[in-house]
Amino acid sequence: MTIAAVPVTVKHPVRAWSGVPILLAALAGVFLLHIAVGAKQLPIATVVDALIRFDPTIFDHVIVQNLRLPRAVLAVIVGACLSLAGALMQGVTRNPLADPGLLGLTAGAAFAVVVAHSVFGFTAMALTPWIAMAGALGAAVLVYGISLMVPGGPTPLSMTLAGAAVSAFLGTIISVIHLLNQDTFENLRVWLTGSLSGRDITLLWYVGPPMLVAIIAGVLLAPRVTALAMGDEVAQGLGVRTGPLKLQLLAVVVVLTACSVALVGPLGFIGLVIPHVVRLYVGSDYRWIVPYSALVGAAYLVSVDVIARVAIPPREISTGIITALVGAPLFVHLVRRRTR
Amino acid sequence: MSSANPPSQFVLRSPAERIALRLPVRGTVFAGLLVVCLTLVSCVSLATGSYGVALSEVWETLRGVTISRAIDNVVWEFRFPRTICAALVGAMMALSGAVLQNATRNSLADPSLVGISQGAALAVVGLTVMFPELDTGLRPWIAFAGSILVAAAIRALSHTRQGGSTIRFILMGIGLSAFISSLTSILLTYGQIDRAMAALAWLAGSINAASWNDVWTLAGWTAVLFPALMLISRSMSAMRFGEAAATGLGAPVTLVRNMQLAIAVGFAAIATSVVGPLGFVGLIAPHAARRLAPAGMGLHLVLTALLGATLVGLADLVGRAAFAPTQIPAGILTSLIGVPVFVLLLMRSRHQSSH
Repeated sequence: MTIAAVPVTVKHPVRAWSGVPILLAALAGVFLLHIAVGAKQLPIATVVDALIRFDPTIFDHVIVQNLRLPRAVLAVIVGACLSLAGALMQGVTRNPLADPGLLGLTAGAAFAVVVAHSVFGFTAMALTPWIAMAGALGAAVLVYGISLMVPGGPTPLSMTLAGAAVSAFLGTIISVIHLLNQDTFENLRVWLTGSLSGRDITLLWYVGPPMLVAIIAGVLLAPRVTALAMGDEVAQGLGVRTGPLKLQLLAVVVVLTACSVALVGPLGFIGLVIPHVVRLYVGSDYRWIVPYSALVGAAYLVSVDVIARVAIPPREISTGIITALVGAPLFVHLVRRRTR
Repeated sequence: MSSANPPSQFVLRSPAERIALRLPVRGTVFAGLLVVCLTLVSCVSLATGSYGVALSEVWETLRGVTISRAIDNVVWEFRFPRTICAALVGAMMALSGAVLQNATRNSLADPSLVGISQGAALAVVGLTVMFPELDTGLRPWIAFAGSILVAAAIRALSHTRQGGSTIRFILMGIGLSAFISSLTSILLTYGQIDRAMAALAWLAGSINAASWNDVWTLAGWTAVLFPALMLISRSMSAMRFGEAAATGLGAPVTLVRNMQLAIAVGFAAIATSVVGPLGFVGLIAPHAARRLAPAGMGLHLVLTALLGATLVGLADLVGRAAFAPTQIPAGILTSLIGVPVFVLLLMRSRHQSSH
């Protein structure tokens, strides 16, 4: 069995550019909707008002600024980062099933945070993103190492299986730690389901700078990913030094994933879904796939979070559950279409 | 009689020689050893716990002598059913894995990896959360229905116009189990908290609440499924060479294929319905059995069942003794052993890209 590489089609740049304003408008639309809906429905006009002319004496404005705006901002950032990471991973590994969640990176980040929290007692917020990065990097190296040792090398299949195994193992150790240490369980339970509710926006001060650097680096590296996605030989023929490029991309993916996990916990399947949807419209040129993935991913996670908040009032479903519900069928579809 | 055979096996014959059973020496010896191991683990398991009972006292109690009401109660009502449950569940999960590996012709198949256990879990959690008034005796049936639906879905989805592919079966299983787990999480989040907590305790794969009722359920289903498995074991060995070869050898291929799936799903679903998902036992036991002794399909299945029983018995024992008073569910321990084994098998799989 082989898993076919992503077909090469390039859309006309003019058509590709034309999507950007539409996407930005859509993102703004769902962003405002996200803030407007909830336990207390707010008219869009009030929301816009609260964002532009904030008046601390008006109760609705306080709701928007203190409760709903931080959550919407988080959804935008995390959706963009995870989708971008997924797009880069699919290009580098030439694996249509690549995703920070499926290949064990989110599990590694979560594992590192839980261990640091419970075994070593590191609860300082400033350290969380760095611990998560170490964990994600370790898991990435482990998964890639295992798939290198599988006969046939790092194919999409061996990487997915190795990722599933590493995630399962780390998840099991996390449950053992929880059983032995009830306090950690209480502190990290909500975080581990991948939910956007009640997150501490101030963590953004620590996570924001590395994230921003990684996003910019990802967009800058994108043209060379297109060459890489055609295979190492082709890329080298085009004058790309594949070794250093892969290391840079690994760093970008690890930072994006780890920072997202530090912010909202492990969220699966976003990095898998979005680049495929994007590819349908912009073809296989990563100069377009990467920024489009970021925009579409942001809009997607904001919309998913709206569903998570309003689907079964008065309760709230964890956002991670909904992303898995949407992502798993697409995974099934991809396996069906790409395995021969 | 035995001189006519190679020395590595001996033959049991019925008086009129209508039935003859060939038994390889090594396999039989290991089967015997495993029975001894299982007995040892069970005895230690009966004696260990927050209420210490000496082994001699356990023996007296099992013989029917009442030493004290407390000991009688602890041994008969709590530890004995628990020990039997662990052994039966282990054997069932191991057999499920062995049959699934044979059916998919893939050595990485395991009921907890391809979503069959998750199907049972979703069905049981759904029952617990939405219809708590229903009898828990229905659990095995509901679990069976959930698992068979998932297995059918994976089978249908992994079949395309180019035919079925075993690798696709496993990847599909991974995708589907993520989907099913999300549905289970929704039930747990949305359901009433007390019902959700009851379901959550069961989901960890723990044997600590086992009762005599559970023992009878497990034993009853095993009594049906195991003979059925033995009946098709001969055709199963033919199926190992591929369906075309099996047809040539005269095996009823379609019937055996469907029976294999039904038996694998049955074992996994019933075991899951009683103690919750137990990861990777179905993966480890058949491989370990193959390494212990080369054997025909029948004896291989017996060895696999014994290994599975010993493994889960041990996992349950270690889980409640190692970090006492905290109990680690057996399912967590089997996963801790099972995942590295899975990775090793993955690294050694040779023909994984040609299927």
